[in-house]
Amino acid sequence: MQPFSYIRPATPQEAVGAFAQAGEGARFIAGGTTLYDLMKLNIERPRHLIDVSAIEGFNRIETDGDRLRFEANAAMSAVATDPVVARDYPVLAESLWKAASQQLRNMATVGGNLLQRTRCMYFRNGAGGIYPCNKREPGSGCAAIGGLDRGQAVLGTSDTCTAVSPGDWPVALVAMDASIEVLGPNGTRSMPVADLYRLPDTTPHVEFTLDPGEMITAIVVPKTLAGRRSTYHKIRDRESYAFALTSAAVALEMNDDRVERARIALGGVATRPWRAPEAEEVLAGQRLTPELALAAGRAAFRDARPGRHNGFKVELGARTIADALRIAADRSRT
Amino acid sequence: MSVGPFSDRARVDALAKVRGEARSAADLTLPRLLYAMTVPSAIAKGTMTALPVEAALRVPGVVRVLTPDDFPAPPPFTEDGPPPPPPTLETTIAYRGQPLALVIAETLEAAIEGAETIRPTFASEPFACVMESAGAQRQPAEDVAFGDVPTALSFAASTVEAIYDSPTQHHNPLELIATVAVWEDGQLLIHESTQASSLVKGAVAGALRIDPARVHVRGATIGGSFGQKAVQRQTALVARAAILSGRPVKLVQPRGQIFHTATYRTRTRHRIQIGADAAGKIVAVQHHVEQEQSPGGYFAVSEYHRDVIRMYGVQNYLGTGADIRLDRQDPGYMRGTHPQPACFAFESALDELAYKSGRDPVELRLANDTRVDPQNGQPLSSRFLNECLREGARRFGWSRRSPEPGSITAPDGSQIGWGMACGIYQSATTPAIATLRIDARGRTRFAISGHEMGQGMHTAIAAVLLEGLDIDPDGLEVAIGDTRVAPQHMTAGSWGTNSVVPAAMQAAERMRSAFAELLGGRQVSGNLHRKLAAIRRPFLQIEVSTLGPGQDQSALEALRQGGFAVAESVYPGFSTFSYSAHFVEVRIEPGTRRIRVPRVVSIADCGRVVSPRTAESQVYGGVIWGLSHALREATEIDPRYGGYLNVDLADYVVPVNADIGEIEIGLVDQPDPLANAVGVKGLGQVSMVGISAAVANAVFHATGKRVRELPIRVEHLL
Repeated sequence: MQPFSYIRPATPQEAVGAFAQAGEGARFIAGGTTLYDLMKLNIERPRHLIDVSAIEGFNRIETDGDRLRFEANAAMSAVATDPVVARDYPVLAESLWKAASQQLRNMATVGGNLLQRTRCMYFRNGAGGIYPCNKREPGSGCAAIGGLDRGQAVLGTSDTCTAVSPGDWPVALVAMDASIEVLGPNGTRSMPVADLYRLPDTTPHVEFTLDPGEMITAIVVPKTLAGRRSTYHKIRDRESYAFALTSAAVALEMNDDRVERARIALGGVATRPWRAPEAEEVLAGQRLTPELALAAGRAAFRDARPGRHNGFKVELGARTIADALRIAADRSRT
Repeated sequence: MSVGPFSDRARVDALAKVRGEARSAADLTLPRLLYAMTVPSAIAKGTMTALPVEAALRVPGVVRVLTPDDFPAPPPFTEDGPPPPPPTLETTIAYRGQPLALVIAETLEAAIEGAETIRPTFASEPFACVMESAGAQRQPAEDVAFGDVPTALSFAASTVEAIYDSPTQHHNPLELIATVAVWEDGQLLIHESTQASSLVKGAVAGALRIDPARVHVRGATIGGSFGQKAVQRQTALVARAAILSGRPVKLVQPRGQIFHTATYRTRTRHRIQIGADAAGKIVAVQHHVEQEQSPGGYFAVSEYHRDVIRMYGVQNYLGTGADIRLDRQDPGYMRGTHPQPACFAFESALDELAYKSGRDPVELRLANDTRVDPQNGQPLSSRFLNECLREGARRFGWSRRSPEPGSITAPDGSQIGWGMACGIYQSATTPAIATLRIDARGRTRFAISGHEMGQGMHTAIAAVLLEGLDIDPDGLEVAIGDTRVAPQHMTAGSWGTNSVVPAAMQAAERMRSAFAELLGGRQVSGNLHRKLAAIRRPFLQIEVSTLGPGQDQSALEALRQGGFAVAESVYPGFSTFSYSAHFVEVRIEPGTRRIRVPRVVSIADCGRVVSPRTAESQVYGGVIWGLSHALREATEIDPRYGGYLNVDLADYVVPVNADIGEIEIGLVDQPDPLANAVGVKGLGQVSMVGISAAVANAVFHATGKRVRELPIRVEHLL
């Protein structure tokens, strides 16, 4: 808990300007559900908070035309209950509904959600020199490797970090080929959501590809009929208010009982929202059977590197994909 | 004494709680209040070599940093004296998270910031923190044995033997542990969320070496306790801070620290062997239990045998055990305490025996009923376990169960399992001293020992008084939990409500007699307040005291001195226990193997039911926590670092509403004829004991897989 300055700019441009002016230790804050939490744990120690939650008209949900567009400050609960999202894109709505609690969904924004940090317990609970963590203190080591790693990733890990990317919403967005609009000191740019996240490699403390002072302003999802045949299936240690052990975002384009194209992304098992092209390839052009669904699931984990206690995620993850494919396929197109 | 069933009454404090008006210790604000925060140890064992506080003192708002130098040496330990108080601040480190310093400041933020600046240096030593650690010290415990187990087992027609594991678990009541200490005119007043105000008083006086007569403890409204909120190390620290600063001081301990300082349910491993004869009669039980223990902890291994011995009519029992001494803080009592893991193991093994010998699990238990206490041969004062079993089986529809494991499948492919198990818990008694005062202005005040933790003691007392006395319900004050109003017992072990209810009953009777005497045959109309007004008496006050079976006046004296005066339930001439029978349905998804519990039927024998609503609420809570013991909770310890890893409500997984299906509760409501004048027995613990075995047995019935370690998770069934 260290003192920090706090301002509430009125426009995105003002916010980006304030960030540049604040210098070292500046952070944007929106719903605050992650940042305040990590400040209390002494992991995030910002010197300046630029609160973007007061920006007018920065939370619009646009569903006309050939895309969905969610401005960054839209609440998770608002997007989850939008009638078009709920009807035509269950994978998006479910990924929001199955995250956190109603109170948190009312506060947290769909933009801030993309930047949620890992729930690795060694990362969260070890400040003050108790557990080494390359993410928290670069170069200090990783206590999770060789430790209590039941919750850790099996895909995309490195020798320095196995922390799971915790989100549900980013997984659904990656499956749906969504992109983000970004505003920064050098103007605006756009990038696929999938490109926002870095693998830990040797620098696990660098998690996102945003440049300093850049702010996510909107999320854009191209419309597709596959949205109707979609689901976000999440397996966790309790039926609500828990992060995923394994999850699968699935959307299907079907021709009768044949899969023309599948989009599959995984949560709870990887160091970033994990698109699974190996699984998608198994399904392309094939008749969807329970056996094929499981084969697709297993393909997604072909390169898995389990640790001591998380080997079950490989089989559970494969079965989660298989169940998600069945749920999505059972949904009608109309 | 009225003989009919007690009527349903609303919880006395329900409205205040749902409106947020009930005040817990952490809610208390006082003029000139200072806020405190502790500095926890980062190492598990060793010595603190330096404690630099200069940076903390530079934080604006920080008033002082208390260090080990600010505390007196611990009191000398005497064998026959009271248990030693928890240590204060010390340079010797016995466990990770041990408080090393206390920062007090004008604001909570300054106290936290100050505490974060303090980075003590340490000389670390090797440590052991789990059963498997090198250096763990194994210390055999006292045997509990009767009969001849080896001979009986050699004649058994069928036997089972297996090992069962119950994990480390931490209480996580919503309310954090909070202390507010006020030092004024040489008197120390402590407001604390505690279920043991008199023990807190004694511990603080002992630790700070001050006269207990100058220490007063007021147990505030408690937001859940369950054995955690007895005596805390923090209390004397906060009290010392108040004395040194001359200002009131408040400490609300963060949840992550509570995991490291408060007591917890320790991990246990049970090896159970059961033998039965050809008729299904259990002939012998052998039960070896080992538990993780602190270096000086007294949470007794032998008590794992106390209740299980008496579950059925077993003539031969050999109970052995050991403490595994580790560098951890003390384990302690957590709802269901010893019988909770012991019954998980024993009732799981009994299910294995039922399958092995081809008997129905309910029939097997019914056939092993007993009227006598198997350990000593004296009668059980009341035992309605078979009634619990029959009623539970009837409501659950047990007769429709096909016994073959894996034989029931839902249309979606889910495997369905029906399992059952029983629970037992002693019904102990503590003496009580109470005063009852009724005045002419519509007020009634009943002061007695006891703490309201949500279990409904307050409501049960009110029910008895309102049933027995014609008084204004709105003017009734029940004063409990405060060492200033009556000698206080520790409210725990399911002896609270069943000890104070008879005292309330006796007080009502004594008050009616006092009125009869006062009126001397005069006919005066109106309720008791109006009668007093009519004869111009401002008030009438009586005092009563009650004892547990077999206790004499020395128990009252012990209570007055703030000591432990509980009569355990093996009384002279008879034994008294409470019982429960639980029936559980699980559904296990075919693919991802998620386990859900759509349905539970739980029937309890707690003697007479005085407050039906809060009694049923106790059982709901017990069932839910039992499901949590079986399927959710485990505290993770990384043996390389000591301490606990999953120290918040996101990672320490307790059930949420979405996890809970239909729960049907039944109470036998038959008075116990001997334990006390009202016929009540304990309920809080027994409602939870046995649930986790019923779940594991249901999982076996669904899948054919016997899981002998908790919690049962998807990976067990993939």
